[in-house]
Amino acid sequence: MRLIGVDVGGTFTDVVFFDAETNTTLTHKTPTTPQNPSLGVMNGINELCRRFSIDRKTINHIYHGTTTATNTMLEHDGAECGMITNEGYRDIIHIGRHQRPQHFSIQQEIPWQDRPLVKRRWRKTVAHRITPPSGEVLTPLDEDGVRAIAAHFKENNIRSIAICFLFAFLDPSHEHRARDLVLEVYPDAFVTCSSDVSPQFREFERFTTTAINAFIGPKVRDYVTMLEDSIAKEGYGADLHIMGSNGGLATSSMVAERPVLTILSGPAAGVMGGAWSGGQSGRHSLITFDVGGTSADIGIIQNGQFAEASPRDTWIAGFPLMVPMIDIHTIGAGGGSIAFKDKGGAFKVGPRSAGARPGPACYGFGGDLPTVTDANLVLGRLDPDNFLGGEMKLDLAASTKVIDKLASELGIERHACAEGITTIVNSAMANAIRSRTVQRGLDPREFSLMAFGGGGPLQACEVAALLAIPEVIVPPHPGITSAIGLLTTDIKYDAIRTAFQVSGQVDHSRVETMFNEMESQLAHQFDADNIPQENVRFMRYADIRYVGQGYELRVKIDSDRFDTAAEQALFSQFEDQHQTEYGRSFPDSPKEIVNVRVSGVGLSTKLEKQDKPEADQKDHALLKTTECVFRVGAELITAPTNIYDRSKMPAGSEWEGPAIILQQDTTTVVRPGDRFRIDDNGNMLISISI
Amino acid sequence: MTNLSSSPTSIDPVTASVIQGALQNIAIEMGYKLMRMSYSSIIRESEDFGTALTDATGNQLAESVQSTPLQSGPIPGYVQNVIKVFSERGVSFKPGDVIMHNDPYGGASHGPDIALIVPVFYDDQLIGFSGTTAHHLDVGALSPGSCGIVDAIDVYAEGLQFKAIKVYDGGVRNEAVWQILKDNVRAPGMVVGDMEAQVAACQIGADRFIDLVERYGLKAVNDASEALMDYSERLMRQAIKDVPDGVYHATTCIDGFLDDPDRRDLPLAVTITITGDEMLVDLTGTAPQVSDRPINMPLVGTVDISIWLTIRSVLLDSDIYGYIPQNSGLTRPIKLHVPRGCLANPIFPAPVIARFTPGNQLADTVMKALAEAVPEQVSAGIGNLKVIAFSGLKEESHWVHMEIFEGSYGGRFNRNGMDAVDTLYANTRNNPIEDIESHLPMRVTRYELREDTSGAGRTRGGLGACRAFQFLEPGGFSVEGEGHRFAPWGFRGGKDGQTAELHLIHADGKSEALTSKVPYHTTEIGDTFFAIGPSAGGYGDPAERDPNDILEDVLDELISPESAERDYGVVIRNGKIDDEATRKLRSA
Repeated sequence: MRLIGVDVGGTFTDVVFFDAETNTTLTHKTPTTPQNPSLGVMNGINELCRRFSIDRKTINHIYHGTTTATNTMLEHDGAECGMITNEGYRDIIHIGRHQRPQHFSIQQEIPWQDRPLVKRRWRKTVAHRITPPSGEVLTPLDEDGVRAIAAHFKENNIRSIAICFLFAFLDPSHEHRARDLVLEVYPDAFVTCSSDVSPQFREFERFTTTAINAFIGPKVRDYVTMLEDSIAKEGYGADLHIMGSNGGLATSSMVAERPVLTILSGPAAGVMGGAWSGGQSGRHSLITFDVGGTSADIGIIQNGQFAEASPRDTWIAGFPLMVPMIDIHTIGAGGGSIAFKDKGGAFKVGPRSAGARPGPACYGFGGDLPTVTDANLVLGRLDPDNFLGGEMKLDLAASTKVIDKLASELGIERHACAEGITTIVNSAMANAIRSRTVQRGLDPREFSLMAFGGGGPLQACEVAALLAIPEVIVPPHPGITSAIGLLTTDIKYDAIRTAFQVSGQVDHSRVETMFNEMESQLAHQFDADNIPQENVRFMRYADIRYVGQGYELRVKIDSDRFDTAAEQALFSQFEDQHQTEYGRSFPDSPKEIVNVRVSGVGLSTKLEKQDKPEADQKDHALLKTTECVFRVGAELITAPTNIYDRSKMPAGSEWEGPAIILQQDTTTVVRPGDRFRIDDNGNMLISISI
Repeated sequence: MTNLSSSPTSIDPVTASVIQGALQNIAIEMGYKLMRMSYSSIIRESEDFGTALTDATGNQLAESVQSTPLQSGPIPGYVQNVIKVFSERGVSFKPGDVIMHNDPYGGASHGPDIALIVPVFYDDQLIGFSGTTAHHLDVGALSPGSCGIVDAIDVYAEGLQFKAIKVYDGGVRNEAVWQILKDNVRAPGMVVGDMEAQVAACQIGADRFIDLVERYGLKAVNDASEALMDYSERLMRQAIKDVPDGVYHATTCIDGFLDDPDRRDLPLAVTITITGDEMLVDLTGTAPQVSDRPINMPLVGTVDISIWLTIRSVLLDSDIYGYIPQNSGLTRPIKLHVPRGCLANPIFPAPVIARFTPGNQLADTVMKALAEAVPEQVSAGIGNLKVIAFSGLKEESHWVHMEIFEGSYGGRFNRNGMDAVDTLYANTRNNPIEDIESHLPMRVTRYELREDTSGAGRTRGGLGACRAFQFLEPGGFSVEGEGHRFAPWGFRGGKDGQTAELHLIHADGKSEALTSKVPYHTTEIGDTFFAIGPSAGGYGDPAERDPNDILEDVLDELISPESAERDYGVVIRNGKIDDEATRKLRSA
């Protein structure tokens, strides 16, 4: 089995090749082609095969992390869409939850009003209404009405159409009937039904999710189709899979139909890659810490499993989104984040970023504002001659100039200013991690901080110290963690149904039927993907709350038949989770199963292990010794600091901070008092002194 | 190794920034937990709650960002009053205390917004308070629910009053108080469950506050807090300084009780005097209090918050200035003068429970006064809100459901008004139709924009919403609202918007028009409660509106071709602008 993983980043497209028979891993980098990312993807794959003389026909699978869906939303550059919804409810996606995004603003924008996914003129209503609890038909679907709307859309070339009916999660048949009618009239239409994309209650969020799918659909479908064609045309024997936001791969045809599943494709692959690398060293409780130029992505791994986001907390470009996603917390803090003194005189860093262009002052592309990268350079933590493996020279004088200017505005000394920038940005990152751990009843001291991306290893030790996290891990190739993550995941599909079942009155056979239906639906999908049944696993979950609460907790169901015993175990597990998350539980209160879910996993061939470092003796690793500035307690000190070449550090070797470790794609900073070693799996394990 | 840092005389900007971020984070965590743990939809879906930390004298240090501004803002006022009452009674704070407070003449926003407050101790020293407020579904007033009690004749008719009561005393639960509470409110399970959630959130806040002090020391935390308040104060002073010195005045009117000639058409008057970096807000000219109807507004907790929030939203608009910490420093440069005995400074025991929409009208009046001074930073007049309590009896227990009906924003210098949103000092969320119908004997039969009603202008006013609720079982409702008589004001040549309406459509099709205040009113199966929200005022001369923007509005059926012609002088035929006819009409 031969696999290729391709991840498209802002600057580079990373390619990783894995041969399961010989257990060989090879990597390659090529510039990203922002206009048409598929060119960069093909360049990367072609170049890798040429460089290592790999026969294109022998590749079995290509796994891909794409930013097409995300960028289409961020740039608001999707299709002109239509919507068919119930009479009387034309403006659900316009009114939303009638809440303004900002409390204290008169001039703010409301994304769903100022840049609607479906313009009001294309939101059409038909007579139709069903009611809870069982989907009883109050008003039958006006089929002629649907045909007339479809004809109108066809006439106006509105090809991407969302069908959004109230309570469709109780009975999808009416939406499906409307879809069939539309396709009869307009066979070329790209139709999305709300009950297919997200069959759960909360109409604004579900309709918006459906509209997002319609909005990005044609573009993502075209992208995937084009890529698939190129792969075939250029002689690869491989099929294409795309990374989904749920931490699993999906077939290209699935993604072409439900592109909304790929909104977090790239970051999800990063979390998976981080989890896998940590697992290599036997670490299964991890906080993944992926820092780039403009943002930091944080994910939580417990028992080797990632956390899933609450559907109430998932957003893209200001729009709510209700699909299963890895819980990735992104904050606007990275190497390019700009430091400044604000109008009230406060010392602030970010969220504005200098990005890659003009970038930090030290890049010499005309940036004249002090950034986190400039601060690190002034503190001696970056080597001006060895940035990105020496591909780029950094201008220390330029950094010093912009830092000095800010320092004099703030009335503090140069190094205090530079160190202040890193401390402020580290605190912001630590607060972000706190919000995903301490605030959820998790103790960060029981985790390792898995640092990757260009900037993660630079900040990780100080961030870990702020949270009393005892260990930082830096994988062997921190810059390509997302591409590696693609080769460490399975095919994964999710199904969900809203159930509304209250404890004491649970209809076990109805719930069991729902589970069975979802499992057979997913089994059918796996079958269509040619995944043999023996490689398929199903996991059942339920979203539960106390009756009256508005937020649910997701609870895993361990038994494979839903009966009284399973119900009791489920509710008892819910009480425990409620206690952990909120510090309280209310055992006497009635509980409600809001949604039932099934995750189906189709096991696939994966990367096996990281290579053992090649270096065999310690002596050649030291490059030089230099003066660096660190904070120790409340004081700033300068300390002689060794600079090492990571590629020359052998497995099993042990070292002491302060130290700076250089490698091709990142720089790791180790504080005075911290100790570190390289293990047999190639990970650098840093013990944080607290 | 060389030491580069000199020992600081005051707190260094880096430590200050770190501690301030941590304080904010604590308030957010409190809000997150309260919102997710609470039972009633008014807290968890509408987000009508607040959390905050204060110092030992009740100065606000940080507040949650999720909650509605009218809830977090008043917490310092609650705390300061509790401190005062305790000192008058000779009672002291002890570790393990939890204090309940809802006295509208003692800092509370109104009776249903009950605060639970935990004093925070470090090394036996009182260092601050961790507080939460939340709107409770029922506080034992004369009719079900805690809104629309528009016929209360004094504060005693508004329900239970808790004046600085220890519901936990040194860690021991005061069972008698909890029992009295349970016996005297409808839906006690919900109310007590929400209060338990509030206590839990306060305790989390207190624990985190102590952790912070342990990490950085009490002095650093106090210094950082002081620096944070000074910082917010500097920003506000700077913003006031940018406003030209002068005296700015505005008056608007509230409906009051439209079926009662003695209690209707009541003026709210605001005079703002800017002198350098200070501002005086004077409400002289506001109507006298209505001594026996609850539309009076508590000075501390409603009036002050309404004024402060409007000023900061206009002068320090977060869309332009970014997030600015909400704390007591922000209000230092603003002085209030409110004559005693007027609607905005009532005398005990005048009732106040329905002060929500008058308070929001006051916010609109403050914005109208500021409009003269900073015309590009305001919106034209907003559409005001309504709060409805729906209720019914199932066997021997009540169900109560509260909904806030949205308003709209007037046109703005660069943008049209926001359609169908909560306005100014309120920012709650509606309840999903699919949630309501799955859990209550009600059906939402319509929820759409109110077409062709916005105030015309260079930028148009926002549209209100039409929302209809049908009763599937016998029940009742009560209403407190505003905006049936006075249309939202147009600005700089923009046209006024349109007033709101309310109808009860009976099962037999007969319709009954209701005023903006309806005391508890019973309903039969099939009755539909139909609310038509207000549409807001236009901004600037409609003749200056780009015909292409008008075409877009017509295509989206937000305005009709007839309105385009009448209000804007733009002729649209068959989905296209008739240039010739438009030129003629616009030059006429």
